Amino acid sequence: MRLTVNGKEHEVDVEDDMPLLWVLRDELGLTGTKYGCGIAQCGACTVHMDGFAVRSCQVPAASADGTEVVTIEGLGTPETLHAVQEAWVEHQVAQCGYCQSGQIMQAASLLSLNAEPTDDDIDVAMSGNLCRCGTYPRIRAAVKTAAQKLQEA
Amino acid sequence: MLRTSVVAFCLLAMPVLAEGENVVIAPPAEGSVSTEDGLQAWARIYEVASHPRCSNCHVGADNRPMWSGPSYGNARPHGMNINAGDSRIGAETILCSTCHVERDGLNDVPHAAPQVAMAWQLAPVEAEWFGKSSVEICNQLRDPERNGGRDHLDLAIHLDHDLILHWAWNPGGGREPAPYSLQDHVNDVLTWGVAGFPCEGD
Repeated sequence: MRLTVNGKEHEVDVEDDMPLLWVLRDELGLTGTKYGCGIAQCGACTVHMDGFAVRSCQVPAASADGTEVVTIEGLGTPETLHAVQEAWVEHQVAQCGYCQSGQIMQAASLLSLNAEPTDDDIDVAMSGNLCRCGTYPRIRAAVKTAAQKLQEA
Repeated sequence: MLRTSVVAFCLLAMPVLAEGENVVIAPPAEGSVSTEDGLQAWARIYEVASHPRCSNCHVGADNRPMWSGPSYGNARPHGMNINAGDSRIGAETILCSTCHVERDGLNDVPHAAPQVAMAWQLAPVEAEWFGKSSVEICNQLRDPERNGGRDHLDLAIHLDHDLILHWAWNPGGGREPAPYSLQDHVNDVLTWGVAGFPCEGD
């Protein structure tokens, strides 16, 4: 199976039904994407596939074959953060941090589809990403800051 | 000329029989189904249409899919504040395909996202079934304005092709399947149509 992850092509030899999350973490060593529930209930494993957010625990390897995947490692770099990552740092969103890579990937996807989300837009797009620490108010504020950054860019 | 006429007569007299991709589409002969038998077929169709595997995604203009059925106790809106938007695929909110990814085969993990080899979506809002009565659904399903302009053969062909509908009879993950079978349901739709789409209270 061939897939492009963060701009780099990979050939992996895995079962068709292996979740993309395992391919990323165990086969490619990209552990920034987190395992939360394994059943699409929490959003911790969110990555982008062909430009859209997906729960990587729910994507069988066969469905990812030939796609372009972006993980938290490929969204920005430490030197050049993505606007969402910048906003996350400014608002000090993370508490324990476990859900945050999924939150950031979902937020980046939201902003690619909706440049000026309202509070309701944010809530309805981000409600599938759970945060045990309850950082939701900071997530919402950071999404708005990131939207401004992207518009000014 | 005679031969052509004989062939034409035979074609007219024969019921339409088509080998669909997944089911046989074989309606009874025109005029062969009584209204009473048509109503009995409708009663079975309503059992399917009102079953959670079908009605949970045939929701109204609030665009909120439902979770209901024997394992849920009270019916409730889909968790995670899901709203499929007017697009009915979540384009304005969060795409259904974020979790309901297209795949070949079945996602058989309990409580995980159902998946088929096509884009997951709600049924059109005109086909609102959740919580609706037998008469309401019956009138919707026979109304070309609200059923996609379909006659009974078109409805059968739709059932033959739409993989989300097939999922209802093979939902996996410990879910209760829709009653009867896809073929039985297609047969009932054809029977109901040949009977003239009778509804209770006509």
